[in-house]
Formats: sequence, C-alpha cells, structure tokens
Amino acid sequence: MAHRRCLHSALLHGTALISLKKSPPLSIVNALTPKPNPVITTSNLEPSWFTPWFYVRHFSSRKSDDSENEAEMEDSSDVEEESDEMASDMVRDYSPGEKEAEAAAIGYKVVGPLQRSDRVFKDYEPVFAVVQIGSHQFKVSNGDSIFTERLKFCEVNDKLILNKVLLLGSPTQTIIGRPILPDAAVHAVVEEHALDAKVIIFKKKRRKNYRRTKGHRQELTKLRITYIQGIEKPEIKTDGKPLKAADKKPEKIAAIA
Amino acid sequence: MIMISANGCSMIDQRMAFMESELPTFKEKNPQLEVVNELIHGQHPHLKGFYKNKNERVVCVKNMTPEDILLYATRLRNALGRKVVKLTTRHVTKHPSVQGTWTTDVKF
Repeated sequence: MAHRRCLHSALLHGTALISLKKSPPLSIVNALTPKPNPVITTSNLEPSWFTPWFYVRHFSSRKSDDSENEAEMEDSSDVEEESDEMASDMVRDYSPGEKEAEAAAIGYKVVGPLQRSDRVFKDYEPVFAVVQIGSHQFKVSNGDSIFTERLKFCEVNDKLILNKVLLLGSPTQTIIGRPILPDAAVHAVVEEHALDAKVIIFKKKRRKNYRRTKGHRQELTKLRITYIQGIEKPEIKTDGKPLKAADKKPEKIAAIA
Repeated sequence: MIMISANGCSMIDQRMAFMESELPTFKEKNPQLEVVNELIHGQHPHLKGFYKNKNERVVCVKNMTPEDILLYATRLRNALGRKVVKLTTRHVTKHPSVQGTWTTDVKF
C-alpha cells in the first residue's frame, strides 16, 4: 500500500516536472509549490532525479486543501474563460447571413454605402409612415431625423431600408397594416453613430454609509429618412394649410392576409 | 472632417504601437479624412477631431492600448460635430403633420 502510494505520488511529480519544463499554467504551479513542511517518505523506489524536488505526501486533510485550492482555481479559470467567451461573443464576427437575419429581426436592412451620385435628399412630400425599429416606433416623413439605439451592421453614410412599416398616410389616403405592411418600405441614410450625453447614476442609502456613482453614455444612431414607398403620393404639393377631415376621401384599409 | 492625432513624447511605446499598427489601416479606410501626426512636447498623447461646423473634439489617449485608441478614433469619425447635450426628442421633424393637426373640432 505504501509502495503504491509512493509510486502514485512519484508519477504525479514526474508529470509535474515534465510539465514545468514546458511553462505550465498557473494552477499546476500553485498546486505544487513547495509546502512549508515537506515530508520525505522512505521511498527507495524513487529515482535520483526526483531528489531536488520537494516531495509532498497527500494526507487526507492536505488533500482536501489542495483539492479546494485546485477547485477554486478551476472555478476562477472557468469564470475567466466564460467572461472571455462573453467578451468574444460581443465582438464576434458575424457571417453575412447572420448579419442579415439579425438586422431583419430588428427591422431594417442595409442596402449599401451612399454614392456621391445618389440624389437621396428630395423635397418634402406630404406622406408619413409609422415605422418600427427594434422596440421603438416613429412617425416619420421625408427629411426627418430619428435617433435610435446603435444599429450594429451599418456604417456612417449607409443606406438602409426599414421593413417594419405599420401605417402609411397621405392627405387623401391611409393604409393600416395588420400588423405590418408587406409591400411598404422606408428608405433612410445613417447620419452618425454617436454617444449620448453622460447620465450620472447616483445611489444612496441614508444613514447606511452606502453611496455609489456610475456614469453612463448611451450609444445612438441618427437616421435621416429619405423616401417612403408603398402609397400614392399627391401630385400637387400641399400649401401647408391643415386639411379638414371632411375633404378626405374614404379611408382605404388594406387587408393583410 | 479633419483629424489630427497629436502625440506627446511621454508615451513613446504606446504611440509607436498605435502609429505602426492601427493608423495606416485607419487612414486607408477613411480617405476622406486628413490625418496628421504631430509631435507635441510636454503634452499627453491625444486625438483631435476637427469638424465641418468648426467644432473641435479632443480625446486624451494616455495609457491606452492601440485597440482602445482605434475605438476612440472611430467614434470621433462616426460623430457629427454637434454639441453633446441630452436629447429632448428622439424625432426631429420640420413638418409634424400631414393630414392636419388634430383639434377638438376635427370630425372623422
């Protein structure tokens, strides 16, 4: 029994020695640092090259300490790996298909960069649309600016098509989607990706010696709406006077299958 | 927008690392920007962005890794030069009404 234990520990140290030569990870080195009370057993079977190394006998109590230490180190390394994985997930490279799928889930589609020859900024047309991006809905018209949460897969000066259109309206017509209109689209251009002003989050519990201060800047994207399609636009420009409801033609509600 | 990266001589390793690795790729990706490298003694390394509305934004990059410096440079490039204030509205429009503003007299 004693011989088997000696052999087992000898083997362990043999592997430790070999692994040490190859610059091992921290956990093994910490687990096998020389203890303050090294115990040398009557091991005649030990070869000579083990003598410079401290021989540690695995008693039951010490084994628990070692195992605890190793367990703690394994846990911490696992946590580090997980956090590394989390960080890498945040920055991971999306394939083009994944990008499109994620973008479509939020409600937009990247068309491409804006060319110099594109005449995207047209005059005001009296048409509006209710469009949804992410969880926010906006009533937009030609030439409006919108601040949304940071959109991931587009750069500045990119053209976008917003697919989730809930309602289209003009002075003579209103088209309501159930819940979205499949043939409608809103074209937009990304103007900037910027950070909002800093908001200081201050927490305090009185008489409890608890005070925390945290700063937060939200990442935003500014979109400029350029074109709304899916509704007939009036040919004559409106004068800007508010049209009365009595002059409106009967509403045309598009039933969506 | 013109961007100038002004380097102080205090952080030599840092700016050399950034200049060698990140700055050329940043220049290539943004041919519309004029990137100038200046050595200014007695100042910490910083990035200065000059915008078309004559606004200037300065970011101090002392003790930052090249990746962080690239992130800040990209942020400066992505932003317009407008003043950073808290947003009052998320929707800026010049023509708020198409079918007429609702009042209590309007009848459908």
